Amino acid sequence: MSVDAVTQWSPLPYRRTWQAVKFVAPLLFLVVLWQAVVTIFDVNPRIFPDVGTVARAGWETIRDGSLWTHVGASLWRVSVGTVLAIVIAVPLGIAMGVSKGVSDFLTPLFRFFSVLAGIAWIPIATLWFGYGFGAITFVIFNAVFFVVAYNTLLGVSTIPMPLRHAAASLGTTRWRMLTEVLLPGSLPNIVTGIRTGMGFAWRGLIAAEMIATNTGLGYMLFLARDFYRTEIIVFAMIVIGLIWLILDRLLLAPIERATVERWGMVQRS
Amino acid sequence: MKSLALESLSKTYFDPYRGTQFTAIKDVSLNVEEGDFVAVVGPSGCGKSTILNMIAGFVPATGGRILVGGREVSGPGRDRGVVFQSFALFPWKTVIENVAFGPKMRGIGKAERNRIAQEYLELAGLGHAADRYPNELSGGMQQRVGVVRALANEPDVLLMDEPFASVDAQTRMTLQEELTRIWEERRPTVVFITHDVPEAVFLANRVVVLTRGNVLAEVDIPLARPRVWDSLVEDDEFKSLSNQVLQLVRSA
Repeated sequence: MSVDAVTQWSPLPYRRTWQAVKFVAPLLFLVVLWQAVVTIFDVNPRIFPDVGTVARAGWETIRDGSLWTHVGASLWRVSVGTVLAIVIAVPLGIAMGVSKGVSDFLTPLFRFFSVLAGIAWIPIATLWFGYGFGAITFVIFNAVFFVVAYNTLLGVSTIPMPLRHAAASLGTTRWRMLTEVLLPGSLPNIVTGIRTGMGFAWRGLIAAEMIATNTGLGYMLFLARDFYRTEIIVFAMIVIGLIWLILDRLLLAPIERATVERWGMVQRS
Repeated sequence: MKSLALESLSKTYFDPYRGTQFTAIKDVSLNVEEGDFVAVVGPSGCGKSTILNMIAGFVPATGGRILVGGREVSGPGRDRGVVFQSFALFPWKTVIENVAFGPKMRGIGKAERNRIAQEYLELAGLGHAADRYPNELSGGMQQRVGVVRALANEPDVLLMDEPFASVDAQTRMTLQEELTRIWEERRPTVVFITHDVPEAVFLANRVVVLTRGNVLAEVDIPLARPRVWDSLVEDDEFKSLSNQVLQLVRSA
């Protein structure tokens, strides 16, 4: 039934374009509104510059290459922190989902540390790792790790019992159960955990970069304030938001679509 | 295929709210010959699903033994294939990957296990759906996959736990006819749990009536095969056997 429903949809490229238009239109509206408000009320550029000034400031940072340095540093930290966190959190989450003992022991600790996860770690991280890459990556790791581990645990424990029984009566060994049932079965939750965790990480990153480094988008933002370059501040904020939207829509959402949505394990949104 | 024997099987649960023991299954003995088809019927809570879960090895028995081909078993194993009421197909695997799953666990190479799976899919009239995902199929088609997934692993005994209870009435009759056809072709040893008396009489060689964890009666079903609903629905022998079993279930 659902197969027929899919073929009745409008052609795929057209649908993609329409979805992109629907997504971009409100953002463009915001830009128009911004320019209108600044012009009509004649806002002081120190308080909030107009679109053209911000665009020129942005173009300047692109031309002198400083934007790429900052974006590159931020993305590199997020990537390393996130990958490390996923690599450790997923096996741990599965271990918690399989063993009640491990779960009982770790759950209170996770509750405690998930409250602390984020910029609360910056002071001690800078003591341990010094200012720069290590401290910030550690903060990212913390933001992603607990969310992914917790969601993996949730994923494993919500796999319907008949699926595990079915696998067992088809001759699945303990190890194969892990790779064939528990991991794919908890994937919807793992993907959710990664999306949520990276959202936290991206916010935490900007905060950490304001304090603990001398490159990155957060630093760019903070430095501009010292020189009263409001147009750079606004530009950096736009870049921060846009990068996250691009990461989420072009990287994370397609992964979700290609796997768990196709399997009918979550609803299409 | 092998025979299945239950010897004085018992299951006692501890009820933590009352602080007392609760006996779900009392001293049940049952023999299912190699290639036989036995249906177990009874009202809700009579323990029929508990028995199946013990045979499958999902819950341990607290007394007695389960023998498959004379060998005592404990825990789940590929000698006992299970078909679930909820289908229990792996949603992240395509239809053919689901059916090939058992052979894959046995270490059979990809080409060979896909050939086996395709053969079983054809048997259930599902050859065209091999590359679809389970959520793209109707309930009836999903359960056809569930049945051949169990069969493709060549179990000694096929355990079916109210497999057609969650599909619509028309589909159910079609599935019942397909199951008898497949059984007549392949002669697997089957234990079929249901609360649907006509279904049990239609499918089985013998119907076991279970009440409060005990075997109340066993009724032989000598209806000729092949069995199809069109001829049986008005058949006097079918009707009288169904009535007989129904009376037993209701007396429980």
